[in-house]
Amino acid sequence: MAKLTIDDQEYEFPDGTSLFDACREARGEDLPHFCYHPDLPVAGVCRLCQVEVEGMPKLTIACNTTVRDGMVVHTRSEKVRKAVQQILEMHLINHPVDCPICDQAGECGLQNQYMQYGLYESKVEIKAKVKKHKAKVIGPYVILDQERCVLCSRCVRFCNEVTKTGELGIFNRGDRAEVDVAPGVELDNNYSMNTVDLCPVGALTSRDFRFAKRVWMLKSAQGVCPGCATGCNVRIDHEGGRVYRLKPRYNPEVNGRWMCDRGRMTYKQVHDERRLLAPLWNGKEVSWAEIQEHLARVLDGGTPGLVLVSPHASLEEMFLAGKLVSGGAIVSGPADQHREQGDDLLLDADRTPNRKGLAVLDIPELSAEDLARRIGAAEGPVLVLGGDPGRDETVGGALQGCDTVVFLGTHDGPTAHGAQFVLPLAMWAEKAGTFVNRQGRWQGFQQAVARPGSVREGWRVMGEILSLVADSAVPRSLGALRSELVAAVLSEGELDMDRMPEFGFIPGGGER
Amino acid sequence: MKEYKLLSARFGRSDGHKLAVYEQEGGYQALRKVLGGMDAAAVRETVKASGLRGRGGAGFPTGVKWGFVPQGAEKVYFFVNADESEPGTFKDRFLLDYDPHQTLEGTIISCFAVQAHLAFIYIRGEFGWLIDRVQAAVDEAYRAGYLGKDILGSGFDLDVIVHKGAGAYICGEETGLINSVEGRKGQPNIKPPFPAVAGYLGQPTIVNNVESVASVPWIINNGPEAYKAIGTEKSPGTKLFSVSGPVRNPGVYEVPLGIPFREFFQDYLGGMADGEELKAVIVGGSSVPVLPAAEIMNVNLDYESLQQAGTMLGSGGMIVIPESCDMVELIQVLMHFYYDESCGQCTPCREGTGWLHKLVKKLRGGEGTAADLELLEHVCGGMAGLTICPLADAAVMPMRSFLGKFRPEFEALIQETATTGPRTRWPRGEQE
Repeated sequence: MAKLTIDDQEYEFPDGTSLFDACREARGEDLPHFCYHPDLPVAGVCRLCQVEVEGMPKLTIACNTTVRDGMVVHTRSEKVRKAVQQILEMHLINHPVDCPICDQAGECGLQNQYMQYGLYESKVEIKAKVKKHKAKVIGPYVILDQERCVLCSRCVRFCNEVTKTGELGIFNRGDRAEVDVAPGVELDNNYSMNTVDLCPVGALTSRDFRFAKRVWMLKSAQGVCPGCATGCNVRIDHEGGRVYRLKPRYNPEVNGRWMCDRGRMTYKQVHDERRLLAPLWNGKEVSWAEIQEHLARVLDGGTPGLVLVSPHASLEEMFLAGKLVSGGAIVSGPADQHREQGDDLLLDADRTPNRKGLAVLDIPELSAEDLARRIGAAEGPVLVLGGDPGRDETVGGALQGCDTVVFLGTHDGPTAHGAQFVLPLAMWAEKAGTFVNRQGRWQGFQQAVARPGSVREGWRVMGEILSLVADSAVPRSLGALRSELVAAVLSEGELDMDRMPEFGFIPGGGER
Repeated sequence: MKEYKLLSARFGRSDGHKLAVYEQEGGYQALRKVLGGMDAAAVRETVKASGLRGRGGAGFPTGVKWGFVPQGAEKVYFFVNADESEPGTFKDRFLLDYDPHQTLEGTIISCFAVQAHLAFIYIRGEFGWLIDRVQAAVDEAYRAGYLGKDILGSGFDLDVIVHKGAGAYICGEETGLINSVEGRKGQPNIKPPFPAVAGYLGQPTIVNNVESVASVPWIINNGPEAYKAIGTEKSPGTKLFSVSGPVRNPGVYEVPLGIPFREFFQDYLGGMADGEELKAVIVGGSSVPVLPAAEIMNVNLDYESLQQAGTMLGSGGMIVIPESCDMVELIQVLMHFYYDESCGQCTPCREGTGWLHKLVKKLRGGEGTAADLELLEHVCGGMAGLTICPLADAAVMPMRSFLGKFRPEFEALIQETATTGPRTRWPRGEQE
């Protein structure tokens, strides 16, 4: 441990702690910076995190200093303040200051830090500024403005050290230096949009989010990416019922500070034109009341012959499905659906968010053939919860052969086409729920946007179906449902699902 | 005026670069002495005791630097820094051109001292002919058994690679130099770690200037006491000064450190050329503060005296400036140099060197105002001491000193160009 003084207060940090991190803790806020990033190697080039260390002749950058016993550090002295102001001014002299048309405005390191360390009075004429390339498309998702770049090299370090794909470099010298891709190279890896997050200014922006929304209008909800079994923690940025982008949310146990491009684009499904927005009875749009009447008549007090649960459903929905039928009549599959190529960074080969949830509830996954056989043998209606299992030809064929298919789903497709009952469900961004990721980690997600059309939450719809067929009470609330779920599969008091730990929960506490 | 020929014995001769000549005049005796019975620690001690200070510009004691290599390091690399790019400096060029074997012998001894088995001689790309000359000397040394396996039967192995730089000033900074040899962009690394701990390929690496290395054989042959007997107490030995400008006898001179400038100027340089008057001197290469004639005349040429006088010994690249020189034009040349050579890594240097250059150009273009002089000072304040390497300081020191010592010239220029228009004489490469 090292005992040191930061801004006249004593602190203790483990040996080897970066002075940058120590100062953040001491100050309750970061030192000014562009290039420092906790998950990238230190570059020390933006020169903004200057601090005064007593006994050292010059100011020193905190990011490349480790704490030492007896160190006396000043982060708010006049000398530091003056240096930071001047260095920040240097960052701006050749910056185009085109904030009104810049997507980064509102979450920009230049803007934010200038509020605190600005010199305000402009000393360089516009015509005297260095001109570089603007609006250069460098990859499928990323666009580059070299004039806005502060050359912090975060994006370059990310491509060198994290993805190890090395698409980006800094070319040329002096104030002609510029970030770019080499000729013939594209920034085209599945993690390219992390460079947009890393970019502290508006140099690298998302082609998808470009000009879509001013960031200060966005509201955020905590989500979990539904794109694969990794379950990267995300921030769902939305406004007016629309999701505009997903950003990675820090979880050291799951995704750190990154997420993949594929995952970011999953929000597009929410506003897909194939969304099911109203109940359909034999292809005809009806009200919820009407479809329930029809459903009650078909079920006639009995249970479905088979319940087919998708690994896209939330744990709460799966649990209710299990209550609908007795064991054995609930299955999932086809088991090889939604499996593609994964990578060794974040993307899992299993492209569903909750396959482990099936295991938690002992819902077996069947092959397409076995599943088709079970569908064929089912006595009574087949209820499909989520996904689109009919997309598989064998399963699709079997569903076609059923007298009655009740589909609780989100998107139009083969399953919806073959179903007599289509009950439109809310997607992940429109509801709260829980996914169990590949580690067996329970992770809760919040509702971000209002449900479109007459779409309803899965647990409510399931609950109502439950009330048609069984004596069991409809859950009063999601909270009540969760208590019941926890009581059923975990030890008592092990978890309060409404107060999920920040980084999720693995039952038994073990690493899986 | 006593002549010192520790380093310059073969300067100006047409045959001094040949191995036979070098051997005939006592060459490689120091190496024989070292390999014949000294251990590495004794060599390090000898050089440390001599007080030899790095001749590249920073003046850090060479023996102390060698001592930073961690004990028991498995792989150690040695670099001879011949990326001599400091404006006004051309001493290493003389050393390698006239007497490559002297530097080579110093290299082998230095490598033995730090137990390096691979050395690079990094020569700036513009020195095309020098690379051939040094390579020829290395080839000769291999044939004679001074390089390669089991040198002189001592069991010590050493290979030397002559590396051609691509012509970047910044590669003279030791970590920039190492990056460049590793095939990376030539730009300095943040320190710590220092190269002596983690340099080339992450291994302990010593980078020494040509002149420092070339001084080693003499120190071994004559002992540290003899070396310390020359020069001053804190600045022992001799130093090469490469002198340019309108003096009667420009060129490279070897003088004991501590020699009064007045004596050097009059006895060695022969004073100013006919019709010229001394205005100022940049003593140690373009990166050190300029001293006006009145101030330099009473200064001695050693590390401490020059520091006291507000400047630095630097590389010994002495630029003598005549009364007829337009100081603003000269600073424009220098500011163009630093703007052109900044690696662009650290923001204060990347942006600051460009800004200084633009402002000086603006002054010379007839658009300057008194406020621009304040702005120049302001920009310097945002650069000095705030970057990874000293290039920003190297631009700030001349800028500040020119402004400080010759402000009336800047003011006169502003007034004059306000009525007569821009100065028409533009430095090479700066025409609009």
